[in-house]
Amino acid sequence: MPERRWSETAAAVALAGLAKMGPTRLHNVLTERSPLGAVEWIFAGGVPDRIPPPLAAAWRSALHRFDPAAADAWLSESGTEVTWSAQPDHPVFLTNDVMPAPVLFRRGCLLDEIAPAVAVVGTRRASGTGREIARELGFGLAEAGVTVVSGLALGIDGSAHEGALLAGAAPPLAFVGGGVDVVYPKRHQDLWSRLLEVGTVASEAPPGAQPAPWRFPARNRLIAAAADIVVVVESRAAGGSLLTVDEAIRRDRQVMAVPGSLRNPAAVGTNTLLADGCAPVLAVTDVLTALGLNQVERAKRRDQREVPASPSRSAAQVLSSCDDGPASIDQLTCRSGLSVGEVLAAVSELIAAGALVDDGARVRRA
Amino acid sequence: MLATISSATLAGVDGRPVSVEVHVADGLPGFTIVGLPDASCREARDRVRAAVISSDCTWPLRRITVNLAPGAIPKVGAGLDLPIAIGVLMASGQLPAVSDLGAFGELGLDGSVRAVPGALPLADAIPAERVLVPATDAQVVGLVVGSRVRAIRMLTDVVASLAGQLPWPDLPLAPESPPAPPMLDMADVRGQPSARLALEYAAAGGHHLLLVGPPGAGKTMLARRLPGLLPALDPAQAMEVTRVHSAAGLSLPHGLIWQPPFRAPHHSASMAALVGGGSGSARPGEVSAASNGVLFLDELGEFAPSVLDALRQPLEEGVVRVARAGGTTEQPARVLLVAAMNPCPCGVGGDVGCRCPASTRARYARRISGPLLDRIDLMVHVDRPHPSDLLGGSAEPSSAIAERVELVRSLARDRGVRCNAELQGESLAQAAPLEAEARALLEQALLKGQLSGRGLRRIQCVARTIRDLDDAGPSLRPCDVMRAIGLRSRAPIGGADA
Repeated sequence: MPERRWSETAAAVALAGLAKMGPTRLHNVLTERSPLGAVEWIFAGGVPDRIPPPLAAAWRSALHRFDPAAADAWLSESGTEVTWSAQPDHPVFLTNDVMPAPVLFRRGCLLDEIAPAVAVVGTRRASGTGREIARELGFGLAEAGVTVVSGLALGIDGSAHEGALLAGAAPPLAFVGGGVDVVYPKRHQDLWSRLLEVGTVASEAPPGAQPAPWRFPARNRLIAAAADIVVVVESRAAGGSLLTVDEAIRRDRQVMAVPGSLRNPAAVGTNTLLADGCAPVLAVTDVLTALGLNQVERAKRRDQREVPASPSRSAAQVLSSCDDGPASIDQLTCRSGLSVGEVLAAVSELIAAGALVDDGARVRRA
Repeated sequence: MLATISSATLAGVDGRPVSVEVHVADGLPGFTIVGLPDASCREARDRVRAAVISSDCTWPLRRITVNLAPGAIPKVGAGLDLPIAIGVLMASGQLPAVSDLGAFGELGLDGSVRAVPGALPLADAIPAERVLVPATDAQVVGLVVGSRVRAIRMLTDVVASLAGQLPWPDLPLAPESPPAPPMLDMADVRGQPSARLALEYAAAGGHHLLLVGPPGAGKTMLARRLPGLLPALDPAQAMEVTRVHSAAGLSLPHGLIWQPPFRAPHHSASMAALVGGGSGSARPGEVSAASNGVLFLDELGEFAPSVLDALRQPLEEGVVRVARAGGTTEQPARVLLVAAMNPCPCGVGGDVGCRCPASTRARYARRISGPLLDRIDLMVHVDRPHPSDLLGGSAEPSSAIAERVELVRSLARDRGVRCNAELQGESLAQAAPLEAEARALLEQALLKGQLSGRGLRRIQCVARTIRDLDDAGPSLRPCDVMRAIGLRSRAPIGGADA
C-alpha cells in the first residue's frame, strides 16, 4: 500500500471507477469489506472471485495511480455524498435489492426519505402529446406530495421532471447513467441545474464518468427499485423503458401504462403492456389511488406544504381568489376586489414565495 | 450667361444646400446636367423643357449646362426642376437676373409646380432671402422659414412676379388646414384593468409595452389610445416630428404636428421600412416617423426576426444611424414601443380549445428574441372583456389619465430626463433609492437569476414611475418594486416551454 492517505470515501470513488467494475463485481468485493478494506486487500494482492488475474492486476495499477486526496477534495467541494452498503445512510431499498447497488453517489437529500415515490418513464423519442402527459403526471404527482423518479433523459423522463419541478412541491429524484457531475444529454443542462436546486440526482457511476451504454440498463433498475409504482407514458416496441418494466416486475413493483393511439409508433410498447394486463393510467388520480392516497390525505399533504411566511393581507386575499382555478390578473382583480396594482404586487410576492405558479397568461396555485 | 439659384436636396431627414448653376452659351444646342444627379433628377431635362415651353417662354436653342454644386453629394428627386427652369430663363435673358433666390419643386409638363417630399427640411436648408416653394407645401414651410416663403402654383407665377408684372402670390393662411381630429379616448375601453394600468405606466414613464392576448381582446384598440395619454409635443418636438414626416413624404394635412404620432407598420415591413435606409438617399423609417410618439407593432411574432432585432439599437439610443458609403445620416427614434401578439398561432394560448402543440407554441414564443424582450418593461395579458364589462358604464377618460401622466413627466424633467425610462446610472440611484426591504427583494430575484442587470435597472425605473403616480415619495417601497416585477415579462409567452 502506497503511503498516500486513503479515506473510505476516496476508496469508494476509486473502486466505482475501476474498469469493468459493474454492480455485481463491486457487490462481491464489498460484501465483507469496507471500501478502504477492499482497496488495501487489492493492494495486498487479493483477487476477487471469478476475476481473471490480469484484470485484478490492472485494477491494482489503476488504484496506484489514483489520487485519493483529490477525490475527497472534489467530493466536499461539489457537495456530492457517497454512501456504500454497510453505511446507515445508504438507501435500504438498494442494499436489500435483488441486484444491490453497493456504492451510490448523490447530490441532494437522503433517498430513504422520499416515499411515496412513483417512477414516470418512457421513450426518448416521445410524441408531443406524450411529453405533455408526462409533464402533467409529473406535476400532479409532485403536487400531491409524491416524489417523481425518472432518468433525466430526453423525451418522457425529462418532461416528467419538468412537470414535477413546475409543481414546486415534492422535490423530484433522478437516477442518471453517468457521474452526477456529467450533464447528459447536454440539452438538459438547464433542467439538470433546476432539478439540483430542489431535488436529488443520484448515480452509481463515479464523478466524471461518461455514461457508458451498459450503465443505462443498470440505472433503470435503480429507478424501478426506488419507486413504489412505475408508470410508462410512452414506449416503443423494444424500448429501454420496457427494461425498467422488467426490473419493476422482478421487484414486485406495480407497473401502470398510459394508453396511446394505435398509429403512434411511440405507444406500441405501452399498448402491448396494457394488452398484457397492466393497469391503465387515464388520469393522475389513477396513480394516486393505486398508491393508496385518498383525497383526504392529499388535502392534508397540500396543507403541509410551505406557505409563504406571513403573507401580506392582499396576498392572502389573492391566494384565496386562486382557489377557483387559474386566473388572469384581470380576473383576480375582479374576484378579490383589490386594485390592479395591489393584485400585481401580491402575485409577484406569491410567485417569489412559491405559492403561485405563472404559466404565461394565468397564474394558479402551486 | 450664368445664373445661380439656391436649392437643397434631402439626405435622411435633413436638407443639404445645393447651388444650381445654369450656363447658357453658344454652341451646338444641348442640355446637360452634371453633379451627381440621380435618375429622377436627370429626367428634369425633359420636364423643364416642356414646362418652359408651356409657360409661353422660349426654349433657348443653345448649349445649356446645369451644374449641381457641391458635386460630391448625390442629388435625389425632382425637387430641383423649379430652380433649373428659373436658371434657364434667367441665363437666357428671359427673366431679370435676381441674386439670392432659392427654390425647389417638381414641374409638370404644363408648367405646374408640384410638392416634393421633405419640403420642411429643404426650405430650412436653403440660405436664400426669398424661397419659392410649391403652394401645397407653403403653409407648413411658412412655419419654419416665415416671411421668406413664396408660394408658387405655376411656373408662369414666377415669370410674372420676377418680371414685376404681378405681386408674389400670397401665402395661404393658417385656417386653410383643418384642425387635427380629436384623439381616441380611453373612456371607450371597457374592463381590462391591468391593461389600462400598464398603458398609464407606459405613458407616464415612457416604458415599452407588450400586450399579449387572443384576437378580439382589444390589443389594437388599447394601443391606439396611447398617444392620447401622452403630453402634447413641445414646439421643438413638433418641429422635429413634422420635419421627419415631411422627409418621409407623408402628407401633412394639419400643418405642424402637435399630437404625438402613432405609426403602425404592417408586419411584412422590411428593415429599411422600419428603421430607415433604402436605395439612394436614406429615407427615414417608421421608427423615425414615430419619434416622440408611439410605434405600434401588431402581430409582433410575425415580423421577421432580423427586422425586430434591428430595432434594438434605436430603442436603446433614441437615434437611428444609417451608414452609407457617402456618409452617415442620423435620424431621431425616441419612440414608445407598443407591441401586440397572440399567445400562440391559433390565438387561444394554451387554454382549453388551443389547437397548437406545445412545440409550436414554443417556436412562436422563440420568434421574439430575448434581448428585445429584455427591453420591454411592461407585459400584460389582455383577455376578451367580460360581457358585464362591455355593457357597463364608461370608464375613466383619457384626459384624467393624461393629467397624471403629465405630472409624472414633469417630475422626470426635474430629474433631468425626458421620462423615467431614461434614468440610468447615478441619476437613477439618486432618483430612485431602494428601501431596505425592496432591496432585499431585488437581491433575491438577482440571486435566483430571474433578473438581468438591465432588468434590474428597468424595474427600478418602472417602480419609480409607479411611486410617482401614487404619491411621488422619495424612495421605492417593496410594493412599488413588486408591482414592477409583476409587470415585467415573467413566463414565456403562451405558457410554452422548450
